[in-house]
Amino acid sequence: MMKNPYLDTLMTAGLTVVFIVLTSYGLAVLARQIQRWRGASPKVQQDTFAGYLFAAPWITGFLIFVVFPLLASLYWSFTDFRIASGASPQWVGFSNYARLLLKDTSFRASIVNTLFLVVVGLPLQIAVALFLAVILNQKARGEKIFRMAFYLPVILGFNAAVLLCWRLMLNTGTGIINQILRALSRAFPPFDYLLRAGIFIQELISAVFLGIGSGKFNLLMKIWEAGFPPPNRVPLWIQSPLWSKTSVILLMIWGCGAMMMIFLAGLNNIPKELHEAAEVDGANRFQRFWKITFPLLTPYIFYNLVVGTINTLQIFEPIYVLYRDNQPLVSSAISMVYYLWQVSFRHFEIGMGSAISWLIMLLILIVTLIQFRLQNRWVTYELY
Amino acid sequence: MRTSTHIFQRVLLYFLLTGMTVLMSFPLLWMISSSLKTLEETNAPGIIWIPAHPTFQAYLRLFQNSDFLRAYFNTVFYTALALTGTLISIAFVAYAFSRVEWPGKNLVFFLMLSTMMIPPQALIVPQYVFFNKLGWVGTFKPLIIPGFFAGGAAMVFLLRQAMAQIPKELDEAAFVDGASHLQIWWEIVMPLMKTPLATVATFLFVGFWNNLLTPLMYLQTVDLYTLPVYVSTLYNINLTVQQWPTIMAAAVLTTVPLMVVFFFSQRFILEGVVVSGLKG
Repeated sequence: MMKNPYLDTLMTAGLTVVFIVLTSYGLAVLARQIQRWRGASPKVQQDTFAGYLFAAPWITGFLIFVVFPLLASLYWSFTDFRIASGASPQWVGFSNYARLLLKDTSFRASIVNTLFLVVVGLPLQIAVALFLAVILNQKARGEKIFRMAFYLPVILGFNAAVLLCWRLMLNTGTGIINQILRALSRAFPPFDYLLRAGIFIQELISAVFLGIGSGKFNLLMKIWEAGFPPPNRVPLWIQSPLWSKTSVILLMIWGCGAMMMIFLAGLNNIPKELHEAAEVDGANRFQRFWKITFPLLTPYIFYNLVVGTINTLQIFEPIYVLYRDNQPLVSSAISMVYYLWQVSFRHFEIGMGSAISWLIMLLILIVTLIQFRLQNRWVTYELY
Repeated sequence: MRTSTHIFQRVLLYFLLTGMTVLMSFPLLWMISSSLKTLEETNAPGIIWIPAHPTFQAYLRLFQNSDFLRAYFNTVFYTALALTGTLISIAFVAYAFSRVEWPGKNLVFFLMLSTMMIPPQALIVPQYVFFNKLGWVGTFKPLIIPGFFAGGAAMVFLLRQAMAQIPKELDEAAFVDGASHLQIWWEIVMPLMKTPLATVATFLFVGFWNNLLTPLMYLQTVDLYTLPVYVSTLYNINLTVQQWPTIMAAAVLTTVPLMVVFFFSQRFILEGVVVSGLKG
């Protein structure tokens, strides 16, 4: 007989609450008892009891859902563990890591693809966020409405449903984006040249990265030999391996509202006196931006860069919605987390999946450390 | 001279602001417009900004589609339960980190902040094995239960910062009157936390509602699918013609609750972004 999934879930939720209450109470009593043995005052005993009682849900959750899984996956990453076969993990030493780093071309492609998003997409995302924050900061009427419109994509952006709308808009033939580009190209010839130049540069950069991923640079040579794109060329968003990552970058830029909010906070913290003094000295708008605003914003740029890098290295949803099962494009589009998902939950190779997740974690850690190391070179914490 | 450049600058500013607003909201407008089209219109070679004869066929089809309706109910069910448990436990834990002095507090708080550095992907594989052992794969439980343990360090941190700002004298006066910590938490602290709680609730709601990766891992049958999982199955790469009006209508219905919540909470959510954002 099938159990009702909703009732079943509610029952488990109720039991979980009972479990949390009991463990929390137990932990609090234990902590109080230790304080009593140490001869603490009644007030300290009472506070210790309350402190552990209130913190206990997080402490138990930390042990069950963080410490234990981390240790388990570290162990499994050295084993051959396929959950579907029902066999227990077999110790294989470093062979998972060796295969991933030396032989696995899909994994290497996923790293290169993800780094492309970080190296090319993230700076664009930060630049657009800064631009939006600066124009919002001009105290225009209706500022709140504009701010809402710029932030809304953050709320909706990573919903699979909204990502599907991008899938529709990015259609090469009938998608609205290319239709608009075509119309503009026909109407203004200079726009056509600009668009073709953009297409050319974009395809060259993408081809370089694809070459790094596969180790073969013949695609790059082909594009170079074909030369400047012919008239009326349009981007091949989700059709060509050269464009698959660029489409994801469009989505990243669209969702830059969270970064924009950080920049707005930074702009608000800049003392008005600095700008007034510079204006008296005859500095124009651009000089004031580059000499005052920009240096004082570098800590916020740094913050967005660090958080943005971590988020981009973990990107999953856009790749899943745009490219799942799209065989010709998979190798040019998959991100590290998408590959992790595929290995762990489509092939159920838990040992390999654990090794991938530890490599992703190490990569994130290394990149973040490098960023902190380099921050003294360019981040200004005090101007004068 | 000076006023004319000033006027020019203002005009340029409004032009930029309006232009960017159109660009940023375009996907949403296009989603709505496409949902009102016929199948032929969505695949038409020319631009159709607004269909000449808007049709609600796609919506009517969805309202008769029991899989979609059940996915909607599933999402509401799972989001409501996960949100309640997570919100209460976070409020509980934030109290320990802001209003009580206890040995080990700084160490535990530091551990909590450092969990923010661990990418969730490092945890999903072993958690999956763990839930598989419990027999929870193929149920909603793995999506809901972890939240009950104050899941989400950033949210605990946001609430702790707000709680720490309440004057200590309030608690002390209540202590003298013989109140316990539990009473102070519920009767004094919580009523003052309405705005921060609403902020945290909004963030959690958006996170649960949009979540794709974990529902995809754990909900393996159509009758348990949540909206993001179900809607992404509507797009099938093996078909030559996609049912775009239906997909877009499903997308509109999926995003309506998000838009409503954002509309009512945007005042404090936009402050919350900055508070939680500048923890670093």
